[in-house]
Amino acid sequence: MPELRGTVGGPVVTEWFGTQDLYKLDVYKQKGGYAALRKAMVDMKPVDITNEVKTSGLRGRGGAGFATGTKWGFINRDMPGPKYVVVNADESEPGTSKDRYIIENSPHMVLEGIMIAAYAVGANQAWVYIRGEYDEPYRMLTEAIAEARAAGYLGPKPMGIDFPLDIRLYRGHGAYICGEETALLESLEGKRAQPRSRPPFPAVKGAWGRPTLLNNVETLATVPWIVNHGGSEYAKRGTEKSPGTRLMSVSGNVKKPGVYEVELGQTFRHVIMELGGGPPDGRNVKVFWPGGSSAPVLPESMLDTHTDMEALAAARSMGGSGGVIVMDDSHCIIRAAHRLLKFYAHESCGKCTPCRVGGDWAVRTYERILANEGSQVELDILQRVSDALQNGRCLCGLGDSAGWVIDSTIRHFRSEYEDHALRHECNVGAVTALA
Amino acid sequence: MTVLSEHILEEIRDLPSKFPQPRSAVMPALDLAQEELGHLTPEAMTEVAHELQLDPGYVEGVATFYTLFHLAPTGKHRFYVCTNLSCMLRGADDVVARLKSEIGVHEPGEVSKDGLFSYEEVECLGACEYAPMCRVDHAYHYDLTPDSIARLVAERRNGGSAVAAPKKARAPRKRKADA
Ligand SMILES: Cc1cc2nc3c(=O)[nH]c(=O)nc-3n(C[C@H](O)[C@H](O)[C@H](O)COP(=O)(O)O)c2cc1C
Ligand code: SF4
Ligand code: FES
Repeated sequence: MPELRGTVGGPVVTEWFGTQDLYKLDVYKQKGGYAALRKAMVDMKPVDITNEVKTSGLRGRGGAGFATGTKWGFINRDMPGPKYVVVNADESEPGTSKDRYIIENSPHMVLEGIMIAAYAVGANQAWVYIRGEYDEPYRMLTEAIAEARAAGYLGPKPMGIDFPLDIRLYRGHGAYICGEETALLESLEGKRAQPRSRPPFPAVKGAWGRPTLLNNVETLATVPWIVNHGGSEYAKRGTEKSPGTRLMSVSGNVKKPGVYEVELGQTFRHVIMELGGGPPDGRNVKVFWPGGSSAPVLPESMLDTHTDMEALAAARSMGGSGGVIVMDDSHCIIRAAHRLLKFYAHESCGKCTPCRVGGDWAVRTYERILANEGSQVELDILQRVSDALQNGRCLCGLGDSAGWVIDSTIRHFRSEYEDHALRHECNVGAVTALA
Repeated sequence: MTVLSEHILEEIRDLPSKFPQPRSAVMPALDLAQEELGHLTPEAMTEVAHELQLDPGYVEGVATFYTLFHLAPTGKHRFYVCTNLSCMLRGADDVVARLKSEIGVHEPGEVSKDGLFSYEEVECLGACEYAPMCRVDHAYHYDLTPDSIARLVAERRNGGSAVAAPKKARAPRKRKADA
């Protein structure tokens, strides 16, 4: 693994990071690993575990921020027949690298969280859906699973309890939409990854038609700490409605890009200027994406926005995937928006018309503007496409996300759009014509 | 005579029983086929379909959905260069330009004359703190510059199979042991 870029020894998830060879089972155990699994299986009843997670207030770190304990409670533990835990390790949201960071630093922490969750909801089998490009994380998880099997944590009687546990890996094949939970399930079942309509929710009818708990890697990696220290201890951190910490991957035009564990409620000024080291010398922050490319942008004037979900909602954005992309004032907002729209157009699964058609329309419109062929017509088209993509007109969040890129960049940088489209000028002096 | 060798077909036949429902085997099976042939030919997809008792059209429909399946020949070393926002902001375009000139191709997917190289411009690979970055021969390379990508090409041109061979065989074997 290359040099760690980010938090070493942070408050919760990264507490042990930086420890030499933490990825090995014996080192992880020495630090206190698998004590939470023992406590959960030996000293606690499944319902107590779920209640502890409820008390912690932990909210999903995959994007939507749904209350984790509540989600666990949706699974009917007593229903006969197979139930599954499916772990979302598809991590494809532009600007997001924290799940890779967690797996590469501490694969056993992820496994321990999965096992605790599986025991709590009564699932004997877990599947980790990991994006196909993650060769190193895949290898590390494979080896960690083998170690956990040899140690008896996975197998017929983990911790001496009559509750067989197994974890398998399933590799993705390069499609952003597989991060969306129902598309992920389709893919796991060997199909094209097109989102399902809900209800039924995965808790009732998920993988292979069975009750399924679906959580993000970071969400589950937080669980051992909560079991060890108690939900109320976790809830002391962060804000009342967004308790705890989260990992933020800070990238783009900063001096110290890296993955940082941040207590929720800190400001983005702290995250970007202190942790991330601020923009290169002689440059200013122009804009940032506070939660992956899908989170509506915030301009430099909003650096003091707090990182909790409520503050972000009030700022008309969201915490999303925790990926903070920073762009400095040497870059053009139209080019950035164009690049992201190309991404959303490319990744649309094609199921709904506004998303399938709208993405390509937006890309072509941006290209006309960047080729100095823009006019009021182009600005109107962008606004119309953006409206068509939002507010439940699409089956899944990908459509909204594409709309938010257009909408939020226009909202905060209207004059730059007008310079480009109406006056054929770029105020950052970048080459406007597409190469 | 099949295009896939008998031991690959046998591995493919073993896959369905490892999943709660057999259909889940389709992508791992396509992986095995692609690993052997370099890309997925219509004949290979038909053989996969046959072994899994699926419709060939269905298998092809799955293969075309996912970008890591290649339906046309690729270079022996495939560069997947991230050009998404975080990498773009740190010079991914210059890295791509240099890569193209080093391997002598004009567009993504084009195979170099010696058959050794091709490249794809890909979406975020989840290593944005090391931008710009790429994946080649099942490994990530970080903090790229035009010069460092030229070095990656040169190492593979000179070392040839030494760089690629061990890693190529690695993925499916691990997968089999795990599944
Ligand atoms: C287009 C799209 C892409 C997504 N990508 C991811 C992803 O890569 N990883 C992830 O954990 N969640 C992703 N999500 C969110 C998941 O659908 C789901 O909410 C999440 O995995 C649930 O886990 P959590 O409750 O632990 O956050 C995505 C959602 C959408 C709409
Ligand atoms: S919004 Fe886009 S990606 Fe989502 S289901 Fe519809 S077409 Fe597919
Ligand atoms: S944007 Fe290039 S790795 Fe994320």
